[in-house]
Amino acid sequence: MLAKRLALRGIDIDCVYAGEDAIVKAETQRYDVAILDVKMPGIGGIELERKLKELDPCLKTIFLTGHGSKIDFETGSAEAACYLAKPIQIDELLMILREVAG
Amino acid sequence: MTDRIRRAFQSIWPEFNHPDNKHLDPYFTFSDYRKIWVVGISVLVAAALVPLLVVTVIHYQLLQKSVDSELILRAERVASNARRAVTFFLEERLNALQFTVNEIDYDQLTDPEHLAEILRNLKLGFGGLTDLSVIAHTGTQAAYAGPFSLEGRDYSNQRWFIECQKRHFYVSEIFRGYRDVPHIIIAVKSFRRDGSFFILRATLDTDGLIQTLASYETGAHAEIFLINRSGIVQTSSKHHGEIFEKMSLPMPAYSLRTQVAMAEDNQVGRKEPLIVGYAYISTQIADTPFILMVIKHKAGMMQVWQQLRSNINWFVGFAILIILVVVILTCSYMVNMLYRADKSKAETMALMEQSNQLATIGQLAAGVAHEINNPLALINETAGYVKDLFVLKEQFHQDDELIGYIDDILDAVERCGTITRQLLGFARKFEVKIQKVKLNEVISDVLVFHNKEAGYRNIKVHVDVPEDMPPVETDRGKLQQILVNLVNNAFQAVDNGCILDIKASPAGADKVRICIGDNGCGMPEENLPKIFEPFFTTKEGNKGTGLGLAITYGLVKKLHGDITVISKVDEGTTFTVTLPTRIQEEISDNEGSTGR
Repeated sequence: MLAKRLALRGIDIDCVYAGEDAIVKAETQRYDVAILDVKMPGIGGIELERKLKELDPCLKTIFLTGHGSKIDFETGSAEAACYLAKPIQIDELLMILREVAG
Repeated sequence: MTDRIRRAFQSIWPEFNHPDNKHLDPYFTFSDYRKIWVVGISVLVAAALVPLLVVTVIHYQLLQKSVDSELILRAERVASNARRAVTFFLEERLNALQFTVNEIDYDQLTDPEHLAEILRNLKLGFGGLTDLSVIAHTGTQAAYAGPFSLEGRDYSNQRWFIECQKRHFYVSEIFRGYRDVPHIIIAVKSFRRDGSFFILRATLDTDGLIQTLASYETGAHAEIFLINRSGIVQTSSKHHGEIFEKMSLPMPAYSLRTQVAMAEDNQVGRKEPLIVGYAYISTQIADTPFILMVIKHKAGMMQVWQQLRSNINWFVGFAILIILVVVILTCSYMVNMLYRADKSKAETMALMEQSNQLATIGQLAAGVAHEINNPLALINETAGYVKDLFVLKEQFHQDDELIGYIDDILDAVERCGTITRQLLGFARKFEVKIQKVKLNEVISDVLVFHNKEAGYRNIKVHVDVPEDMPPVETDRGKLQQILVNLVNNAFQAVDNGCILDIKASPAGADKVRICIGDNGCGMPEENLPKIFEPFFTTKEGNKGTGLGLAITYGLVKKLHGDITVISKVDEGTTFTVTLPTRIQEEISDNEGSTGR
């Protein structure tokens, strides 16, 4: 749904529902920014972020999270460009996207 | 009762008798301080008094015993001396008669001239003789010397004559006889040359005997007198019977020796302990009917001992009083100390439980927040997308009603999101950044946010921070948030035109106190313990989240401070925040902060 909203705002976006699919996509195409949920089925958001970084070191990441646990915050602030708590404001996300992508 | 007396009484009386904090009861180690107090006093008093009383009783008994034995010993000595004297008195006179009959034959004795001569000589030698008579074996008086004309009397049927005939010697009881004067008869039997017997009889007046006895009387509490073997008093006694009356005491048992025993006076109207000494008097040559009585009145003899006992009683009484006072004071003091220690422990425990409760609620809140967050995100994105469809696709652009509904949904989500973020913030520890903060600057920064509202609502804000307040080393952001929350709270509680008071002052060497008071609606007392709990709100409808004060509480705790509240309905509310002027930076708080 978020992907559709961003697409509506003119952002070129691909949406997948599992970590494995994201890696497949990233192997074939180059992306500026990855927006990841921390908790996902299958491969977790943090592990996925590391794998994506291996494929493309220039990739920026924005984490979305449902809760603010300690580990989330530590990883979030250490590795990701940004870290957002749900529910998010679409305008806020757009602003941060522009900032991160340059 | 005047104030001073009541205060003195309260300093002795243990504090636990004025229970004021019932809610602390479950935290006390000991529940019944009154019992501890009573048991403590009883045990100490018993331990101190029992030995004292036992020793006193033993002392009494020893003293009593030694006094008794001393009295008995003295009575015994007097009795045996008096016995010897009486025995000697009678023996002497019997011997004199014996000597006379042995020395002088019957014919000479019956010569009245000679008999008078002998009487005169005996009176000179021994005294106390009234007359002298010689009685022939027929019982008729053969000769008489003395003041009465008794010649020719026949004594053959008289008891003394028969007794003397049998035993050779005779000592009579004291009796009045023909002359109505108390006297004693002593008689000696002897034989004439023709083999027939005769008796020499003398009458003794009792004065000599009484004088002899009197010389042994010591003091006013002792009496010496004679009785005969049927208990008839022979020489007058002050307390135990007139002469020739029955003695008031029981007859003593026969004994060869001097005896002393304790007895009791059984006369009507008197019941006092006596020491009774007695001796059956018997001369070497003849038995006598006399019993010597020595009576001592114990009460009189014991006056010194009574004095001593009264001294001991006073001393023991005084000692008991002092012991009681010391024990009660000591016990009260100790139990009071114990109670105070226990009370402060209970207070700490109650406080800890409250903090624990808040922490638990905080964790629960975090869980709830997380669970709510995901559905919220879904609603947010779905509603957002629907709105985007309407707004960006333009075909529903004009439908303000639909857009309005969706905005309502988004507003609600936004509001819920704010709550969950606040909740998460309440549960999570944030890094504390320490810096020197000037209280007046922080307060004026905070008030900037409210200037407009204050002006609009005509609320007067008084700020009173002393110029020389030292800077506080604390986390500026958190302090600001605390103050914003409290000032917000106050603004919501007051009506237009009310007054808000913000005061800061040092509280001891290493603390500062910030008071934020209003004269608004106040809170009922039953709400006060709950106001720092999350989700507790008194604001109507959904104006408040019930998290503001809970978060404030968490922040104050994070700054190692304390927050208290005083409130009265319709008078206003005052929050007091106490903060340390320095915070030891905690290593465990070294966490990442939110990146936004």
